[in-house]
Amino acid sequence: MPEQYDLIEAAMKIIQDRRSVRQYTDEPVSEEHLEMILEAARQAPSGENAQPWRFIIVKDPATRKQLGAIAGGGSGRRFTAEFVTKKMQERFLSLEDEAKKKAIFEKLTSGRVSAFLADAPVSIVVCGKKDVWDLPYDTSAAIENILLMVTALGLGACWVIAPCIDIRDEERLKDLFGVPEGVKVVSIISIGHPTRPHRPRPRIPLNELVYSEKWDIPYYEEEA
Amino acid sequence: MSSRDVSLDYVNSIVYDLQKAFWDERGKGARFRVTTVGQDYFMDKCLPRIKAQDVEAIVETIEQVLEEEGVVADISHEIDGRLLRLKVQGCLHENVEQRFVAKGVEPFTCIPANLVVLAIEKTLDQPVELAEIKIEDGACRMLLVLFESRPTFD
Repeated sequence: MPEQYDLIEAAMKIIQDRRSVRQYTDEPVSEEHLEMILEAARQAPSGENAQPWRFIIVKDPATRKQLGAIAGGGSGRRFTAEFVTKKMQERFLSLEDEAKKKAIFEKLTSGRVSAFLADAPVSIVVCGKKDVWDLPYDTSAAIENILLMVTALGLGACWVIAPCIDIRDEERLKDLFGVPEGVKVVSIISIGHPTRPHRPRPRIPLNELVYSEKWDIPYYEEEA
Repeated sequence: MSSRDVSLDYVNSIVYDLQKAFWDERGKGARFRVTTVGQDYFMDKCLPRIKAQDVEAIVETIEQVLEEEGVVADISHEIDGRLLRLKVQGCLHENVEQRFVAKGVEPFTCIPANLVVLAIEKTLDQPVELAEIKIEDGACRMLLVLFESRPTFD
């Protein structure tokens, strides 16, 4: 029997249950679910109600491979640069398990952390029209709606910026998908059925995030 | 083409303001949006000069162009495995980098480095990543990473 929640509890549960899921089973995402996900995106807030978002649905295995290659290549380049400048080692300084650290470095520098896009049953390429004022904000709101609906449906998703953060890679994506000059590729959202449950990632406590009236004056004295 | 003289201070103040605007908008992500800055200059001045098909010779060609055009007073490099180190002295734009350093921000754009990246990528289709820009002893020192090939996952 399904669990029962009131609306407030359900909203918070969906928000708290969202994870970045990178491994999926072979089970396809149903058209019914896909349409609900896209409808959620369509309802996002938008400056001037411009609704600059456009979405490209990618299922074709050959295209997915190319997408994975561009994503993996971009991630691999950036993380390798972070590694050779020792900044990655600084970032993981508190991780004492050397074997785990080595595995993380290898996963990041190889680009595998983003190349999984090739294996996602479906990806949504989120694009934004440039002739509006609020392109990054509007499309990010749409993406969050996508992620929440995915979670509500019991699916898994990952918000992947790797294949478009560098303008060189974004140009490759635009060629791949025939995206015109007046449109920016913002992100890729991979979606599928998760292979396993995922633990929550740590979050900074509210008392370190929230200020009262002015910067750096804590709103909460104790951890909330 | 105009032969009108333009104050270098004026040019660099504009370049700095543009880069600062990028930095204020994107923070550390700004560096990834400026990786092709210089591409028109590259197509016009550099690409026609590149005849060789090896990294060493390609970098040397870019160095020659930059010195002949007066963009830099001196530029040299060394290749150590997959790492390419560039040392630039007397760059027209060094004041831009200095202003970022003075603000505590690591410089994130280097036109000479971009030209080297563009040259290797366009000629050999080998990815290159600019990893670091440092100013030491009056010279800009750039660290770039050379990759064997572009992933295809075929």
